[in-house]
Amino acid sequence: MPQASQSARPERQGYVLLAPALIVYLLFAVYPMIDVIRMSFSSWNGLSPEARFVGLANYRAIVTQDPVFWGALRNTIWWTALAVILPNLISFGLALALNQNIPGKSSLRVVFYLPVIIASIAVATIWKWMYDPFFGLFNNLLMQMGLDGWILDWLGDRKVALWSVFVAHVWQSVGFSMVLFLAGLQGVSATLVEAARIDGAGRWGVFRYVTLPALKPTMMVVFVLSLINSLKAFDIVYGMTGGGPAQSTQMLAMWAYTQSMQLGVFGRGAAVSVVLLLITLVIVLPYIRWMFRREEMAR
Amino acid sequence: MASVDISGVKKSYGAVAVMHGVDVAIGDGEFVILVGPSGCGKSTLLRMVAGLETVTGGQIAIDGRRVNELEPKDRDIAMVFQNYALYPQMTVAQNMGFALELAGRSKAEIKAEVDKAAEILSLTALLDRKPGQLSGGQRQRVAMGRAIVRHPKVFLFDEPLSNLDAKLRVKMRAEIKALHQRLKSTIIYVTHDQIEAMTMADKIVVMNAGRVEQIGTPLELYDNPANLFVATFMGSPAMNILPAVTQAGAVLVAGVATLPIVVSVPPGTKIAYGIRPDEITIDPESPVKAEVVVVEPTGSETHITARLAGHEITLISKARVALAPGDQIGLSFSPNKHHLFDDATGRRLEASGGMAA
Repeated sequence: MPQASQSARPERQGYVLLAPALIVYLLFAVYPMIDVIRMSFSSWNGLSPEARFVGLANYRAIVTQDPVFWGALRNTIWWTALAVILPNLISFGLALALNQNIPGKSSLRVVFYLPVIIASIAVATIWKWMYDPFFGLFNNLLMQMGLDGWILDWLGDRKVALWSVFVAHVWQSVGFSMVLFLAGLQGVSATLVEAARIDGAGRWGVFRYVTLPALKPTMMVVFVLSLINSLKAFDIVYGMTGGGPAQSTQMLAMWAYTQSMQLGVFGRGAAVSVVLLLITLVIVLPYIRWMFRREEMAR
Repeated sequence: MASVDISGVKKSYGAVAVMHGVDVAIGDGEFVILVGPSGCGKSTLLRMVAGLETVTGGQIAIDGRRVNELEPKDRDIAMVFQNYALYPQMTVAQNMGFALELAGRSKAEIKAEVDKAAEILSLTALLDRKPGQLSGGQRQRVAMGRAIVRHPKVFLFDEPLSNLDAKLRVKMRAEIKALHQRLKSTIIYVTHDQIEAMTMADKIVVMNAGRVEQIGTPLELYDNPANLFVATFMGSPAMNILPAVTQAGAVLVAGVATLPIVVSVPPGTKIAYGIRPDEITIDPESPVKAEVVVVEPTGSETHITARLAGHEITLISKARVALAPGDQIGLSFSPNKHHLFDDATGRRLEASGGMAA
């Protein structure tokens, strides 16, 4: 049995219990983050023992000499802007519908959540097959419906490839936000709804003055989570198009990876990563501050 | 203000009937309290009046108009909930004015009504606060203010004081009663606390298992309970009930005495003999002996639980007593203060004659 003196120091016990997670976090998250910043100021091919300090040369290179960077940035911004709105609106609608007393709602909840538990790379493979210009589901359906004119090379056409991937992303991510919204809806006070009904609010009034305000924290969480998820979009694009055709589906996270791991220009890859990190921080820091404020207010 | 007529109201959930034909007539400006143990149907009845629950059978009419099929907002009622149900994102003023705003009243009108209600409830200094910044008692007052500004035909209160601490509850009790006297409004008020019912109501409706047990003024219920349920539910500590048997021209109370009471049941019938704790006194001369079990001083009086012929009874002593568990005491029962009930039906038996024990 441990001595009384040991259990008398709860703060020390706390640190001991935290230590393993902290070590892993420092080693695999904080150290690489710092190292990537250092690397973004260096020139390194990934193999040579020496990396050369080059100052801001990598940053200069990606913004002035790298046409793909700007395309990737544009794609990332579009993707993120749409990904925080479109799938979440669908999720919200689904959550509202599945929060009603409709038959089969439990099974439907599972159905809509199912894509979330599938690995992104598997989702990419499934959709790649469905998009296949010759054997894929979509083109065959269009053909059977006599809509031959609509047939496209969904992932091979530069104009539509990004949005074809985006549709797969929507399918995969809708369930996650839906579950968060459902949890939020279940937290809406039934008495408050009744009070509003007695006060004279109709369905819209109850939604506007009771449901929406109660869902504000949930919306914030959903917004930030999908923001972070979209900014780092990588796996589904990697699995479906690999950034092609002609870099038309290239994203910042994947471009950083491609530069470093495939082209061996680690400095530039790191610089792209740092740009992405800065964008993420600018967006996420206010959220973290907001969370702390809420926590303090709850205390 | 208006009358409320509840006639033959029934409620079932699927095949399960929870209310079996309730009749209550509530006059204009009356303060009526529905009281009973949890699950007796009092809250369900209130919610049916509010329109938050459907009515399975019977009719509810407000001011002579059948409201069974009307939405809550069309019934001209206001309700105060146990957990206050204030809109957290709105200020006190917005909470109070919300119903008027939905009704499309002008800003100036709303402000005038809210200011007037805030004045009555001493909320003026808090009008710009959010509910989260208020204490329980203040929130309760805001909830009442929200009801007052609408000048509804009927006020409905659903256990409004249950979430408050004991001291505040006593204060709010007096405030609500004063409010009723000031507004002369029709109020239906639900509580499980019989003291709240006794102290505030013009008329009490005692409910049990989806039925009305008795309707009357607080003192009518206290002095003439219609049955065993009402007798033991109203009054604190509860009325003592002892088994008894009728004899020719008398009642034999086990362990107490044979009392010269004439009742309208054949000799040999088992009945229940009830007497309130303040009608039993300690009397060293009395041949009726009991053993003290618990002594609870409350300051102004002392509650004593004693075992009498195998039954626990409670008595209230106004005088300070030096008693300990295990002590033997003599007990004297006030004559003519008993209540007799049919053992089988629980119904009150009218009796004549007195006793001296």
